[in-house]
Amino acid sequence: MGLTYLEKFRDPSLAKNLVAAIHKESRHPLRLMEVCGTHTMAIFRHGIRNILPETITLLSGPGCPVCVTAQKDIDAFVAVSRQPDVIVTTFGDLMRVPGSGTTLAGQKGAGADVRMVYSVFDAVTIARQNPEKQVVFCAVGFETTIPTIAAAVLMAAKEKVTNFSIYGANKLTPPALAALMTTPGVSIDGFILPGHVSVITGVDAYRSVFETHKVPSVITGFEPIDILHAVLMLVRQNESGVPALENAYPRAVRQSGNPKAREVMHQVFTVCDAAWRGIGLIKNSGMELKPDFKVFDAGARFELNLTDVAEPKGCACGEILMGLKTPVACALYKKVCTPMTPVGPCMVSSEGACAAYYNYG
Amino acid sequence: MNAENNNTILLDHGAGGKASHALFSKMILPLFSNEYLDMGDDGAVYPVPAGRMAFSTDSYVVDPIFFNGGNIGDLAVNGTVNDIAMCGAIPLYISVGLIIEEGLPINDFQEIIKSMATAAGRAGVKIVTGDTKVVPRGKADKIFINTSGVGMIPDGVNVSGSRALPGDKIILSGTMADHGIAILTAREGLTFDGDLKTDSAPLNHMVKTMLSSGCEVHVLRDPTRGGVGTTLNEIASQSGVGMTLFEKDLPIKKQVNGVCELLGFDPLYIANEGKLLAIVPEKQASKVLDLIKADTFGKNAAIIGQVTDQRPGKVFLETAIGGQRLVDMLTGEQLPRIC
Ligand code: SF4
Repeated sequence: MGLTYLEKFRDPSLAKNLVAAIHKESRHPLRLMEVCGTHTMAIFRHGIRNILPETITLLSGPGCPVCVTAQKDIDAFVAVSRQPDVIVTTFGDLMRVPGSGTTLAGQKGAGADVRMVYSVFDAVTIARQNPEKQVVFCAVGFETTIPTIAAAVLMAAKEKVTNFSIYGANKLTPPALAALMTTPGVSIDGFILPGHVSVITGVDAYRSVFETHKVPSVITGFEPIDILHAVLMLVRQNESGVPALENAYPRAVRQSGNPKAREVMHQVFTVCDAAWRGIGLIKNSGMELKPDFKVFDAGARFELNLTDVAEPKGCACGEILMGLKTPVACALYKKVCTPMTPVGPCMVSSEGACAAYYNYG
Repeated sequence: MNAENNNTILLDHGAGGKASHALFSKMILPLFSNEYLDMGDDGAVYPVPAGRMAFSTDSYVVDPIFFNGGNIGDLAVNGTVNDIAMCGAIPLYISVGLIIEEGLPINDFQEIIKSMATAAGRAGVKIVTGDTKVVPRGKADKIFINTSGVGMIPDGVNVSGSRALPGDKIILSGTMADHGIAILTAREGLTFDGDLKTDSAPLNHMVKTMLSSGCEVHVLRDPTRGGVGTTLNEIASQSGVGMTLFEKDLPIKKQVNGVCELLGFDPLYIANEGKLLAIVPEKQASKVLDLIKADTFGKNAAIIGQVTDQRPGKVFLETAIGGQRLVDMLTGEQLPRIC
C-alpha cells in the first residue's frame, strides 16, 4: 500500500533527511518567525522545536486571529451579548478570552445566548431560524476566513436575512509583517509564511514587504515535512546571503492566489486601519464593510458605549506576537496565567504561543 | 386527557398516577424485566456473593440523544458497566434514573429504552431498580439518564490507577476519538465521507477475560471525557510515574483523523466510550494484547507506550517524525456535552 497524501508529509525518513540537512547547513544563529498560529501549533504538536539545532530559534508571530484581537473588540462582543434578544455566535476560541470585564463564556453562564459555531454560515442559519432575534457573528479572522464571511453577508443580503449582522475585527497579514519590520527592536532572519492565508492572497501579496525589507520568506503548509522544508530553505537563504520570497507549498498556493475569493472579499469589505492587540493601530491592516453592506454592521446596529481600555497589566502578548519575547519571559506565565485562568488571549487560543508553550512544553 | 394515547411524553407520565404506571408497566418493565425488578418494590433486593464490591454512578446528558451507532440509552448502560469493569469487577446490577423533558416523542423514548435493554443484555447485567421523572418543557433537554451499578471483584484482583510501574506497557484497546467525533459531526450536521460512528460498547467481557487469564493487570481505565491524553495524565500522577507514548503506534481511523485535522482537534483529548487503557507488566504485554484483540471490541488494540521513571506525573509523546512533546491534561471544554 502506498503512502496516503498526508502520511507522505509525515514520513519519518523524509523528516530525518531534512533535519540532518538543517543541522549540517545551519551555521549562524537564526531567528525565524512562524507568522501563523496554525504553524505554531503544528510545530509544538509534532515536537519540531527539539529536533532543530540550537542555532535556530522559532518565534511565534501575529497570525493567531484571537490573539491579535484588541481588548476593545472583545469588550464589544461582550457588550453585544448583553443586549436584549440577541444571539451572539462565535468560533470556540473566542469564548474564553477575557475582555476588560468578563468573557463571552462568562456571559453565557450568566444567561446570555452565546453559541459556538464552526462556520459563519451556521450563524446565518441561526438567524433564519430565529427571526425575532438579532444574530451577531463575531468576525475575527485573516484572509482565510474573510472571503467566507463576505459570502455569508452576500447570502444574508440576497435572502434578506435582516436580523443577521457581524461585528468585524478582521485583519490582513502583509501589512502586519510590514509593521513588524519597522518596529524598533524587532529582529527576524526569516518568515515562515502561512499556507492557508496564502492560498487566498497568493505569493504576490508579500512581494512589496519582501522588496522593502529583504527578509528571507518561505510560504509553507502545516505538515511536519512542509515546516522542516521551509526551515531548510530559510537556512539556505541566510547562509548564502541571498534572501528570496519562495513558495514551498505549491500544491496549494498559486502565485496569484485565489482571485475569485478575493473578489468576493472586496465586493463586501474595504481596507481600513485596524487595532492589533499589544501592537496598536496598523494602517490598512483591517477590513470593514463597504457602505452598501453597512446595514450588516453590528457596531452600527447597537449602541455599545465602549471606552478605550488598557490591556491587562503585565501581559506580554504584544511583545510575544512581535517576537520580542517568549512566553516564559512573561512574569505572569504559569504563575498567574494558565489555560484555566488566562490573562491574555495568547493563553486562550489553541493557536496562541503561550497556550502552546504551556500545553506542549 | 388520555396520556397513554398521546405520542409524546407528558407531565402526567411523571406524576405518579395512572399515566406513570402505564408508562412503566407497558413500556419499561417488559423490556427490562428480571426477577428483581419484577418484584415491584421501592428498591431492589438481590443476593451478593462474598468478597469486595465495586459501585459506580454516572449521568448522561449527551446532545444529540441519537447519533450514528447509538443513542443516550445504550451509552448510559455501557458507561456504567465500563466504569465498574475498570475497577476490576464483574458488573451485576444497575439502576436507571430517567429525567424526561415534557414533549419527548414516545417513539424516541421507546427506542432509547429498547437500546438500554439490549445493552444490558449484551453486557449481562440486570436493571434492578429505577425512577422516572418528567419536567416541564425547557427544564431539561429531551432526556437525561443516570445509571448506577454494582459489581463483584474476583478474589486476587487488584487494579487501581495508582499501580502503574516503570517498565509497564500501555495498551489501548482500539482506535481513539470515535465517540467524540461521531457526536460532534451529528451535532453540527457536518457531513464527511466515511462512517463516523460512536464506539460505545461494553468492555466487561474483555476485562473478565484479561483478569481470569492469570495475567497481572496493574491499571484499567476507560478514556472517556478528556480522552486518552487526560486519562493517562491522571494515572501518571496517581502512580507517580512518567509515560512515553509513540505517535506512530496510536490507533486512529483515517476519517476520524481527517476530521480532527480539519477542525483543529487533538484526538488524544477526544472522548471514547468503548475503549480501555490497560497498563501491564512488560513481560505479559503481548499476551494481554492478544486477549484484547480476540474480543469483539478490541480488534484494533495496540501497545501505545510505556511507563517510565522519568519526569513523574508527566506524559510525553514521541512524534512520528522523531520530535517529542508534552501531552498535558486537557483544560477547558474541548467538546461540551458529549456523554
Ligand atoms: S502568559 Fe498570559 S499574561 Fe503572559 S503574555 Fe501570555 S497570555 Fe499574556
